[in-house]
Amino acid sequence: MSCIRNSIPGSGRRRPSLYGLIALLLVTGGAAVSAAEPVSGSVVRDLYYGEVLFQFYQDEHFDALTHLLVARDADRVGNHEAESELLLGGLYLHYGQHNRAEQIFSRLLQDSSEPEVRNRAWFYLGKVRYQRSLYPEALQAFDRVSGALPASLDAELPMLKAQAYLALGRFDAAVALLDGWRGPESWVAYARYNLGVALVRLDRPEDAIRQLDQLGRSTFDTAELRDLRDKANLALGYLYLQQGRDIDARPVLARVRLNGPFSAKALLGAGWADAAVQDYRAALTPWLELRDRDLLDSAVQESLLAIPYAWARLDAHSEAAAGYQAALDAYDAEIGKLDAAIAGSRSGQLVPAMLSADDARIGRWYWQLDALPDSVETRYLYDLVARHSFQEGLRNVRDLAALSANLDEWQSKVAAFEQMVATRRTAYAQRQGRVAAGLDQAGIDELQARRDVLAARLEQVAQSRDVAGLATTEELDRWQRLEALGTSPALTDVAAGDARERYRLLKGVLGWDLDRDYQYRLWQQQRNLTRVDALLVKAQSAHASGAAAWQDTPAELDRFAERIASLAPRISSMQAALARDRNAEEQRLQAMAIDVLNEQRERLLSYRVQARFALATIYDRAASSARSAPVAGGTP
Amino acid sequence: MNRLTMNICLTAMLLGGALAAKAGHASETVASAAVPVAAVSSIDTGMQALKDDVLDLNRELFMLEEELLFPANTQVAVFVSMDVGEFFALDSVQLKIDDKPISNYLYTERELKALLRGGVHRLYLGNLKTGEHELTAVFTGQGPHARDYRRGATLKVEKGVGAKFVELRISDRQSAQQPEFVVREWE
Repeated sequence: MSCIRNSIPGSGRRRPSLYGLIALLLVTGGAAVSAAEPVSGSVVRDLYYGEVLFQFYQDEHFDALTHLLVARDADRVGNHEAESELLLGGLYLHYGQHNRAEQIFSRLLQDSSEPEVRNRAWFYLGKVRYQRSLYPEALQAFDRVSGALPASLDAELPMLKAQAYLALGRFDAAVALLDGWRGPESWVAYARYNLGVALVRLDRPEDAIRQLDQLGRSTFDTAELRDLRDKANLALGYLYLQQGRDIDARPVLARVRLNGPFSAKALLGAGWADAAVQDYRAALTPWLELRDRDLLDSAVQESLLAIPYAWARLDAHSEAAAGYQAALDAYDAEIGKLDAAIAGSRSGQLVPAMLSADDARIGRWYWQLDALPDSVETRYLYDLVARHSFQEGLRNVRDLAALSANLDEWQSKVAAFEQMVATRRTAYAQRQGRVAAGLDQAGIDELQARRDVLAARLEQVAQSRDVAGLATTEELDRWQRLEALGTSPALTDVAAGDARERYRLLKGVLGWDLDRDYQYRLWQQQRNLTRVDALLVKAQSAHASGAAAWQDTPAELDRFAERIASLAPRISSMQAALARDRNAEEQRLQAMAIDVLNEQRERLLSYRVQARFALATIYDRAASSARSAPVAGGTP
Repeated sequence: MNRLTMNICLTAMLLGGALAAKAGHASETVASAAVPVAAVSSIDTGMQALKDDVLDLNRELFMLEEELLFPANTQVAVFVSMDVGEFFALDSVQLKIDDKPISNYLYTERELKALLRGGVHRLYLGNLKTGEHELTAVFTGQGPHARDYRRGATLKVEKGVGAKFVELRISDRQSAQQPEFVVREWE
């Protein structure tokens, strides 16, 4: 009990920890990570799949989803067909796109024969159905998982099954699954809590007490699990109270941390445990601790009635009367604030205020609202905001706002694209004459003709073994001069004996040289011709593709312009739809908030009636006592 | 104020907010949404359809942008990947094409973790004319024994009419206890 009797650190009015509440209630969002882990090995066989993983591993899920959709559309992840499909399904699931996710997992089950892929697909299919509250169908899918899953999914599977059983009221099945289950520490803690709840529902209090007590005595490192431990101790304490084991309840409730989200209810219960054994003085200690806390907590509201009740039981009627009067004043003030909060919520500023400090990055993964703006409306809504349905609604508003911001960016880009296409058209028109002339004057045909002449000449040389045909310019010059000399009449003259001999010798040497080099030179020229052919082919191809590209440019620009023209109005209509749905979702959340505020108002009105009645009773008794006897005293 | 009030509180405690859900929506039993289930379901379906349409539009816009800015006949994309990373802690990559610096990228810790888990970073997406080009990557970081490390790798690439993909891969060469830097083309 010492824990409760100690003063509260940082005393004064305090808000419950929204983060703590939500941590107990919401999706942690790690499942898509498991979906992305490679099915076999870790080798990336498509660069674009690796790029998607790069974004995904940095929690940039919207980018990952967009890139994956593009990569699949452009056939860039063909080597990771099943894995990319699993990842896509996981991303859709976490984006709240259950229908898409279910389609993908069902398709995978039809198409894939790999056990690892099939097991994951069954798991996710079950999870999709579970999230849509289709519990029997979810269990059917979970039961089809027949082999190893990645470690995180392996731990999650029994929890999901157990929660489905509990939702269906099949507590015995949940108990059979959870009792003795082994897994990671954090999962075991949740399993134990749920097991305790199931056992309560099966009317097996002793077994439930054993589970909750074990969890309530555990030591944990994380705030999330310490909150869960508090919750277990609170549930156990109230279970004891329900069974009339008030003495057992006291130490269990004292284990709940004073600075946790469940401390107010624990303090209230501790007071009731003392009151149950007629120790009203002791009961006042935790209840008076509550008095200084924020009145929006129902336990604090109730304590305002409990305190004067205890005073009355202690025959301190003036304190009791003062207490009831203080309660009335506090309730009145709080009702006034609630009225202001309801009016404020109706003005439509509630949801925008909640998301005002939000980081608008796209994606719902891991996101949760862990701090509320300090406004009249939001101070009453911590419990509501911690609810899954409200958080899901806020996520939707946030997603829609982020998608709208994304489309705004595209809108400005599309304007730039339009400008780009227009600029390209202008540039095309300006260059048309020059490019057309350039293409015409490229001289490919002339080059081809020259090549053909050379090829024919070479062929002729080869056929006639015209060794002089392959002579160098110098050799040819000499050869031609010798040929000319040979026809000179002077060379036939008798007197030209020596000269004729030298002519024959020179011609013979030159002819011999030409003949010796003929084969090599022929091979060289034939090789050169082959190279010329290759270059000509390249030139023709480049010319043709250049001409085709140039010719296609207007049509291609038309196609771009058409696409841009069709996308621009779609952006506008989507923006309108996003704004409409966002408004509807905000209205829905606003209605939920107003309902909760009204519930609180009704509860305060009921407490107010009780306080007024108790106060009147005290006054009546005091008056009748005063009339019947001069001595003060009596019972409330 | 009596035992009855307390019991109401107890029932709410034990049954109303019963399930502790680490990864699910079991806590929905707490909720008391004012909107009927059918209406919520219809909103949900409409919301999914709308998001789906926007995602589809986003995909189309993304493809249009890529085709417009980086047509396949000139497109070149350079990726960075990492395997193991025991002998090298990457700080930055400098990329040059034909001796012209085109990217100088400094990696964050989060990006490095993503690389080590198998992610591939697209370092550069741009346009190149057809023909031969020289691509040079300079990796800086910490090598074995936490020493500053700087290493370059070069590759001559022939840019044809289709898109060109190049991977800069950092891996560990166990035999030499050294990092290895490979530049390779993808089909």
